[in-house]
Amino acid sequence: MAGSLRVNLLRLLIPPVAVILAVGSIAAYYLSIDPAADAYDQSLVNTAIALSERIHVQEGGPVFDLPSAAEAVVRTDKYDKVYYAVRDSQGQVIAGDQEIPLPPAGLQADEGVIAYDADYRGKRLRVVALLVPCGSGVCTVKVAETTIKRERLARDILIGSVLPQALLAVLTLALVWFGVTRGLVPLARLSDEIRERSPRDLRPINERGAPTEAKPLVTALNKLFGQVDEANRNQQRFLANAAHQLRTPLAGLQAHTELAMSQPVPDACRAELEYVHSATIRTARLANQLLALARAEPGGYRPAEFVRVELRQVVEECADEWVHRSLAKDVDLGFDLSSVDVPGDAFLLRELLVNLIGNAVEYTPAGGRVTVRIGLDDGSPCIEVEDDGPGIPAAERERVLERFYRLPGTSGTGSGLGLAIVREIALAHGARVEIGESQGGRGCCVRLIFPAAAPISKDKA
Amino acid sequence: MRILIVEDDASLGAGLARILEAEGFAVDVLKSGEHAAMAARQESFDLVILDVGLPGIDGFEVLRRLRAEGRAMPVLILTARDALDDRVRGLDLGADDYMAKPFAMPELAARVRALIRRGQSQAGPRIVHGPLVLDTSARRATLDGEPLELAAREWAVLEVLLARVEKIVSKEAIIQAMANWGDELSRNAIEVYVSRLRAKLEPAGVRIRTVRGFGYMLEDYKAQ
Repeated sequence: MAGSLRVNLLRLLIPPVAVILAVGSIAAYYLSIDPAADAYDQSLVNTAIALSERIHVQEGGPVFDLPSAAEAVVRTDKYDKVYYAVRDSQGQVIAGDQEIPLPPAGLQADEGVIAYDADYRGKRLRVVALLVPCGSGVCTVKVAETTIKRERLARDILIGSVLPQALLAVLTLALVWFGVTRGLVPLARLSDEIRERSPRDLRPINERGAPTEAKPLVTALNKLFGQVDEANRNQQRFLANAAHQLRTPLAGLQAHTELAMSQPVPDACRAELEYVHSATIRTARLANQLLALARAEPGGYRPAEFVRVELRQVVEECADEWVHRSLAKDVDLGFDLSSVDVPGDAFLLRELLVNLIGNAVEYTPAGGRVTVRIGLDDGSPCIEVEDDGPGIPAAERERVLERFYRLPGTSGTGSGLGLAIVREIALAHGARVEIGESQGGRGCCVRLIFPAAAPISKDKA
Repeated sequence: MRILIVEDDASLGAGLARILEAEGFAVDVLKSGEHAAMAARQESFDLVILDVGLPGIDGFEVLRRLRAEGRAMPVLILTARDALDDRVRGLDLGADDYMAKPFAMPELAARVRALIRRGQSQAGPRIVHGPLVLDTSARRATLDGEPLELAAREWAVLEVLLARVEKIVSKEAIIQAMANWGDELSRNAIEVYVSRLRAKLEPAGVRIRTVRGFGYMLEDYKAQ
């Protein structure tokens, strides 16, 4: 059953509750109205009996004598107007009110009493006719009253029986309504927990916090998380193997081209060899970059396994490689490093720096300067790589972060992936990337600003 | 000088062998970890270049066996994997240096020379770097055969740099190494000693490069 759980539950509950309410009310009404109405009838019968005492049989027929004080007592009632009539055996009214209607035809007397409803002078009446033997015939004493008292009683009984039942029903439905909300609180907490998760976080949900009914759901979710996680790991393993399988033959290719180039070879051949050599190096770098990019994507790494990474140390570890490369290009690569750490993945942060510094060295002409800075910017850990190369025009600064985008007119051997990797890894670490000009107003300065989550900064060494 | 290359990729193994042979080393190439562990047990090598991803027992296991048997020759690990863990693991197991594939041959050759030099200096008191010779037991240095006057701290700085030719040595690392000698030096003092060393060594072609904001690097000596 789809849709709102609450609405569905109510839909299920309302018909039986309504039926119970109706049946209960009707039953309660009739169960209480009959005895009460009987009691009122009985009181009319009593009056009729009292009046019948006043019939005296004489020779000329029955005579009814009622002192006017007694008649006043009979006719007095708090709510209703009371009528009476005494008829002789011929049907002649010998006392009381004239036109009290006769019982409907076919109504049988029960122990000499007939009770019935009738209309009299535009009013509804309850009439009790008492048959009394008088002389040789049967006299009738009718006592009637309007039904105000009875209607009040009926209304009171109706309210008295329906109101509590209706209240009970409303209360039940309200309990269901709020009970569902309350019962769903642990589920809401669960969905909050899942919603607030990073899409890269595949840790299992704690089953102990979940209500028993939701446990199968949590277990199923955890199983799914586990499967996705395993699939990610398989993919990473595949990527690592693919990179391995590529790098070894590339290393062989590079070794042999460099070996060939170190021999005396004709100039025409040398040019070809140099092409092969540079293509080999580019291919190797591209393989590394594709691997880095895949690793930086959601699922490629595990935020749960982030540790505090000392940025300075990461730079120091890859500085050797870059110093040699920049020396070969006659680029002055310098550093300005403070000890700053960020929560992160050491491999990814290293790739980030490799690409950031590599990019700067790549696009800085011979004789230029590249400076790598690690420090705090207004309390936020910050990596900054500044060069005095051609720079990136303001209009292109967003686009250079896209994959495979290369500035028009660049002659470098770059793949257009370097800054895309930087952006992807920055994103994974919650850092923002700013591209600007270097301090002198020319060249390019790429800054990465990490969230200022209580970095442990030591003195600038 | 004898080098053992353990690499299962025939093309890379042959390329490495030819480059190192051209440098004047005697080179053996083996393709499996088992054979390498056996060969290293029976013969003596001045350096082992060890690929991590070998069929059968991997490079780490070969390294572990070598060190377990007390073999102290320098070991250079080659890996096609890039995980930082590999590097840490290799160094923990007693590797002396680490290179990720693919690599430039001149850099490999420089690292090989530096490792072999280091291996020898551990064996003997003489450190040779091109025209520069340090006799650590007699504390005498010569440059192009001529006696070289070095103050105690200049000597200490030079020794730190000589232990890591072609590698960047941070000023902190130099300060730390000096601290072992009971010296407390500032970064500025290091600069003073390096500039004095330069004045003495550069005329003979021994160059110390400054890495701005980081430290220094003693360049590999190449006879002009």
